[in-house]
Amino acid sequence: MTAVLNPTALETVEGRTDEMLINLGPQHPATHGVLKVVLGVDGERVTRAIPHIGFLHRNHEKLEEVRTYSMCIPYTDRMDYVSGMQNELPLCLAVEDMLGIEVPERSKYIRTILFELSRIASHLVWIGTYMLDLGAITPFLYAFRDRELILDIIEKTAGARLLPNYFTFGGVRRDHHPAMLEDILEFLKFFETKLPEYEALTIDAPVFQARTVGVGVLDPQVALNHGVTGPNLRGSGIPWDLRKDEPYDAYPFVDFEVCVELGCDAYSRSRARFREFYESIKIIRQAIAQYPKVGPTLPKLPRLKPVAGVERYRAVEISRGQLGVYLISDGTEKPFRAKHRSPSFCTLQALQDMFVGSKFSDAIAILGSIDIVLGEVDR
Amino acid sequence: MSLYENKEPRMPLERVAIPENKHFKLRNKYHPLLNNHNPKGNLLSAIFGYVSLFGTTLLVLALTYQGLPALLEVLGAAKNSFWYNLVYGLLGPVLMFLFVAVVALINILMLRKYLAKVQNRYGPLHHGPAGVLQTVFDALKLVSKEDFSPGMVEETIFTLAPVIVFVSAFIMIAVMPFAPGWVFSNVDSGALFIIAAGTLGGYGVLLAGWSMNNKYGLMGGLRAAAQLVSYEVPLSIALLSVVVYNGSMNLTDIVQAQSTVWNVFPLFIPFVIYLIAGLAEIKMTPFDLPEAESELVAGFNTEYGGMRFGFFFVAEFAELYLLPAILAIFFLGGWHAPSIPIPYIGELVIHTTAPNPANASSILGLLQTMFAPGGIGQNLQYAFWSLLKAAAGVYFYMWIRATLPRFRDDQLMELCWKGLIPLSMIGLLLAAVSRLYPAVGQILSYVTAIPLLLFIVSRAFGLKLPSPKKELA
Repeated sequence: MTAVLNPTALETVEGRTDEMLINLGPQHPATHGVLKVVLGVDGERVTRAIPHIGFLHRNHEKLEEVRTYSMCIPYTDRMDYVSGMQNELPLCLAVEDMLGIEVPERSKYIRTILFELSRIASHLVWIGTYMLDLGAITPFLYAFRDRELILDIIEKTAGARLLPNYFTFGGVRRDHHPAMLEDILEFLKFFETKLPEYEALTIDAPVFQARTVGVGVLDPQVALNHGVTGPNLRGSGIPWDLRKDEPYDAYPFVDFEVCVELGCDAYSRSRARFREFYESIKIIRQAIAQYPKVGPTLPKLPRLKPVAGVERYRAVEISRGQLGVYLISDGTEKPFRAKHRSPSFCTLQALQDMFVGSKFSDAIAILGSIDIVLGEVDR
Repeated sequence: MSLYENKEPRMPLERVAIPENKHFKLRNKYHPLLNNHNPKGNLLSAIFGYVSLFGTTLLVLALTYQGLPALLEVLGAAKNSFWYNLVYGLLGPVLMFLFVAVVALINILMLRKYLAKVQNRYGPLHHGPAGVLQTVFDALKLVSKEDFSPGMVEETIFTLAPVIVFVSAFIMIAVMPFAPGWVFSNVDSGALFIIAAGTLGGYGVLLAGWSMNNKYGLMGGLRAAAQLVSYEVPLSIALLSVVVYNGSMNLTDIVQAQSTVWNVFPLFIPFVIYLIAGLAEIKMTPFDLPEAESELVAGFNTEYGGMRFGFFFVAEFAELYLLPAILAIFFLGGWHAPSIPIPYIGELVIHTTAPNPANASSILGLLQTMFAPGGIGQNLQYAFWSLLKAAAGVYFYMWIRATLPRFRDDQLMELCWKGLIPLSMIGLLLAAVSRLYPAVGQILSYVTAIPLLLFIVSRAFGLKLPSPKKELA
């Protein structure tokens, strides 16, 4: 690994004829938000890469510490705004654990179904933006066309499209739309016909393979050292998936596979995400088949005031990896400390290991393949 | 994996059969797939587009090549006299600029509509009926913007670069025949002129990238220089094969030689090489590295705005049109109609009425002279075929643009130096053989062409060939 150099001064590196420093971002079309990477390039080859984060820092953790537990949920939505609904779950689980709330079966299934639906929506955004990074414009519009249908389903049930604020302590905030399950089944039927189309345009396309195979190799040990999780870790051959390893909600009752790919490169990460489409569809279908038709969605809740000194860490597997919440109670209705462990932040730490030595074009392909959301990196 | 053995469900499962709801539709008011895709507006814009594209360009061509000379002769300037050459030399290019502008404007509109159709969008919709005036407004906006250049640029070169790019694309028209006799200068080194003019554009791009003092611009300019210089070689060799086969550098002669068999059949390999290298020459996906917007922001035109950018933009679309036009001249028979015998409409006028010298001044007589073989009527029909072939090429390129991602720079170079250049040498050799022994050459061409075509399609679009697919992961 290259030693961290002073990114603001142009230093002569031994053996390099000429090195040019380029600011990749914060206003650059391929950084998916406001990431800035200072790239040293020698011709087209990247010699060093220093990510600068914090442009989207909104102080979520401190804001949550001065608000009551139920007021915290909308803040979590705004971390990973691409799959907003998934972010609410770890906070809910942690508070439920602290207070000993038993979640009704029906709510567990509703959560699981919407959680996986959000994963499909999030991976669709990834396909679109990644192909845009690689220079293909059409898959972006196809992906957003289909994602729109998911957002419609979420909107009908939760009232909002991106930041739904729907999960709550003990279940879901209100019962779902009467036609939600039928809508979802109808969507899945439509989406399954579109999946081969996506594959033909992306992972089966020879130009895509030429751009991604062997590019941005993330060594499994390096990935573990940096705390990389999610499809990026599974793309490096490590079968770590919290839905299996620490199951929550209705995941113990459904049968699915952990999508592990052994290539460790951008292509493996892409394939891992693509296989997750099929697994998500499988999970949703099973959950809908097992779904208990009757029953409450919310139990009788105690006062949201955990005992002083109780602390709890709960993590879930969102689209990008392991999103965790660590809460410490001081006996009031506000958390004494709220800490979020976000997957993209950890993934970004492995950026330099993947960037250095690659081509400038590859750098863009790598940055797209790890699928970061800056709202969640900076929090 | 033993770690992930299925856990037994903890609760009794009651499978609920959810009734199939036949009446349910995915409700999305704006979804183009599920909504009626404004078919009336689409049809309107398509009819407007095609009629105006062919009508206007044919009109301009007829004005340039027949109207203006006829007018000058009526005014008393004999052909090739000093005054004739002076006035025609000044006014002709103006008319041709009009031609390029019209082609670029309408092409941009039609291609945006086409791309939108591919991508499940509406495309331009709001200016004029069904959005047909969109590009006119775009052009007006570009022209009315401030002529601005940033402080740190090398002013002279920065101003000169878009002009070089535009002119290099524009001057190709000088030697391009649209119909018999419809050409500005019927020079004997037309093929050489086309190659030279195409090469000139690379200078403009390189100078633009260097002069703007921007790191992304510099990288774009260097990439463009490397790409254009490399792809000039197979492109030129492909054109050279045609020259060898037809035995002439004069474009009119080349087209005349294809009156029975188009060059695409005996010279299939150069044809394919020209198609691919042409994509690189006009810097379009999958070879759009110089202006890769996700990598280099805008590449060599990052710092340009207003009409300075407009020159790059118009030059890009002019080239997008002129390259298939050259392709049509060299390989697709130029102005010749496809070998299906299509009757010449003018004959109807000639044969239904017997030519009568007394009628010479009447409308009928005028029609007879117009539609006589070699007259303006037949030339218009010829020009229509030239334009149609060029337009088909444009749509082919646009289809590729809508489908493929872009290559990396080393892959681009590898494709050129290891793939296209050796192949183009083979193509040149086959062209020479075809010239000497036509039958042997044609058989060899077909034998090599079919595997080549299959290979290219399978590599570019992932067509599943019978051979087992390599497992990658």
